[in-house]
Amino acid sequence: MTKPKLIFIVAGLILLIQASIAQKTSFLDHLRIGFGAGANGAHIIDLEPYNVYEDLTGETYKNSYSGLLQNIGNQYFVQAEWFNDYIIIAMKPGTYTYRFSKINEVVFTNETVEQVTPYLLRYLSVPIEVRYNLDFLRFRPYAGINATYSHLLGSHDASNQTFIRPKISAGAVAGTYIDLRYIILDVNVGYHAGVHNIASKPDRFETGSGSTFAQNDILLNDLQVSLSILFSLQKQKHYSNVECFY
Amino acid sequence: MWSVFTDIMARFTTYIVLFSILIAGCEINQKDVLPEDGFVKIYNHPEEILSFYPESVMELQGGGYLHISAVKDETSDIEYPYTYLVRTSATGEVEWTRTYDWLAPSSRLIQQNNQIGFVAMNQQFHAFAIMIDPGTGDISEQHSLDMTMPLYTFTDTQGNLVVLGYDFVTRSSWISKYNSSFTLQRTTMLSINTDLEYLIQRHLNKTGQDFPFYIGEYSNASGAGYYVNCFYNYTLRTVFMDISSLNATGDIYSFQIEEGISSTIQKTGSLFGLTSYYEGNNYILPEVEIDVTTSQNIKDLPGDPLYELTFKACVITGELSNDATDNTLFISQTNTNSIVIYQYEMESDSLVRTLYRNFDERVEVADFIQTGDNGIAILAGIHILGKYQRPLLVKIPGDQFLPEEE
Repeated sequence: MTKPKLIFIVAGLILLIQASIAQKTSFLDHLRIGFGAGANGAHIIDLEPYNVYEDLTGETYKNSYSGLLQNIGNQYFVQAEWFNDYIIIAMKPGTYTYRFSKINEVVFTNETVEQVTPYLLRYLSVPIEVRYNLDFLRFRPYAGINATYSHLLGSHDASNQTFIRPKISAGAVAGTYIDLRYIILDVNVGYHAGVHNIASKPDRFETGSGSTFAQNDILLNDLQVSLSILFSLQKQKHYSNVECFY
Repeated sequence: MWSVFTDIMARFTTYIVLFSILIAGCEINQKDVLPEDGFVKIYNHPEEILSFYPESVMELQGGGYLHISAVKDETSDIEYPYTYLVRTSATGEVEWTRTYDWLAPSSRLIQQNNQIGFVAMNQQFHAFAIMIDPGTGDISEQHSLDMTMPLYTFTDTQGNLVVLGYDFVTRSSWISKYNSSFTLQRTTMLSINTDLEYLIQRHLNKTGQDFPFYIGEYSNASGAGYYVNCFYNYTLRTVFMDISSLNATGDIYSFQIEEGISSTIQKTGSLFGLTSYYEGNNYILPEVEIDVTTSQNIKDLPGDPLYELTFKACVITGELSNDATDNTLFISQTNTNSIVIYQYEMESDSLVRTLYRNFDERVEVADFIQTGDNGIAILAGIHILGKYQRPLLVKIPGDQFLPEEE
């Protein structure tokens, strides 16, 4: 069985279990669903460099990745949350797209050339977050932890074959819910650290039809900012706009 | 608070278990892949005025590689390229480099008595075998080969050195055989009957056509011998020679020097694998019966066209043996800047697989060897930024040549 098939079967199984649990009214009362989107900055951590260029005079060439602020990607996801007074468990499955570039320098006597190879990695991700929140009525700030399993989606870009398909990350999240009575906004910031190298060791030199380069061993960390709109299946609380301003 | 936590844990145990299964099944663990199994290295020299023409690569005992290039300096008063040797680690990183004043080093690197060597010429075109210490690159010995304009060097299975040269006085291809002490054993002149000195000079100084000169060894019911691709009797021919007398026994001829056989390998008995070029196309004959005692026209040997290869493509042919099978590899370069490897079964004309390694810039293969781990190392030239010609070493792991699992 191929890995994408396995992932879809597992995801289907989760949804089935979710649906069966949702039969219970008490569980529904503690469920919020919605959708969200946001931007991310990929933060590449170099574990071990593999430069395709060797200088015959002993010089070392720059072999690095672009910085976080240059690596702006995006994410789109659906969000489902179970909550009680203090704890919220949120799932945010969706597509998470990361952008970054590899920079290789080649030095000549009269010129120094920078070869830049851009990547766009689109993952199908299933993040799970456990949040602890404080109830300040309209605003409910929270902090928590995150664990994410991601699967790299196929691409026509040959250079993407220098990465393995799965990616697991873990990190910290913080944010706040803003209760607008009929909808709840979730403003979320998170930093997620990759827990393993995502470069494919056997394929790091499989540069395909693109720049000639070697992929370093890297961790893909990211800083995410997201905004979600959630709909609560629970009866609304009694602090409407009217009540608040009275 | 604790009860809340246990409640959550109980509810999400299913998810955690499923998540763990998913993680366990994925390809995160890559510890069994070592950096020396496969790599690509481009060896750049910052001097734009230098052009590197890679010639030969050799794997050293204890790991690492030596590769040799001819280097042309645009500003030099000497029109012939000098010799540049690079010693690398097992992962292709440069350990040291050495340059030598010996000119136009001819393929291949030779190994004699724990020393590595190469054949090159001095400014008077006299050929010498230069032996070096593989640890330091220092020259330890040099032997005059008493011939001129060396074009190719081959070490046979008995450790004898066979060198192809050109004699501009008699206008002949010059084939000499030396023992492991570089003592001349036998020499043969094959008359070309026309003056090709200018073409040979342009071949040696890298300004003209790069002719496919090579030497190999065969053994079958007709006896043992060498096949030598050289100029002979007006044309570029593959000449079969007796191993002892060096007398020509047969040949495959083509039209003058515009067509020819670009590589040859003996498979079994009278079956050979060939590549050729004529009428603008490249052809492959993965298994063809050749009578080494007769003279045959190249056009009488039916070949399959290889339209993807570059014009008059250089093809390097050799054997690759692993635990599963014996294979013949034909390695060349395509019009789309790829190194291409055609893997055929040794015992038949069956194509097992075709492998491509793609590059941005133009590549030209020069040599390949089977490595100790049953992979291969390919030495090629690459034009960095489309401008500067530099050596390229590609190591491909052995598992890529194993039979595919059913």
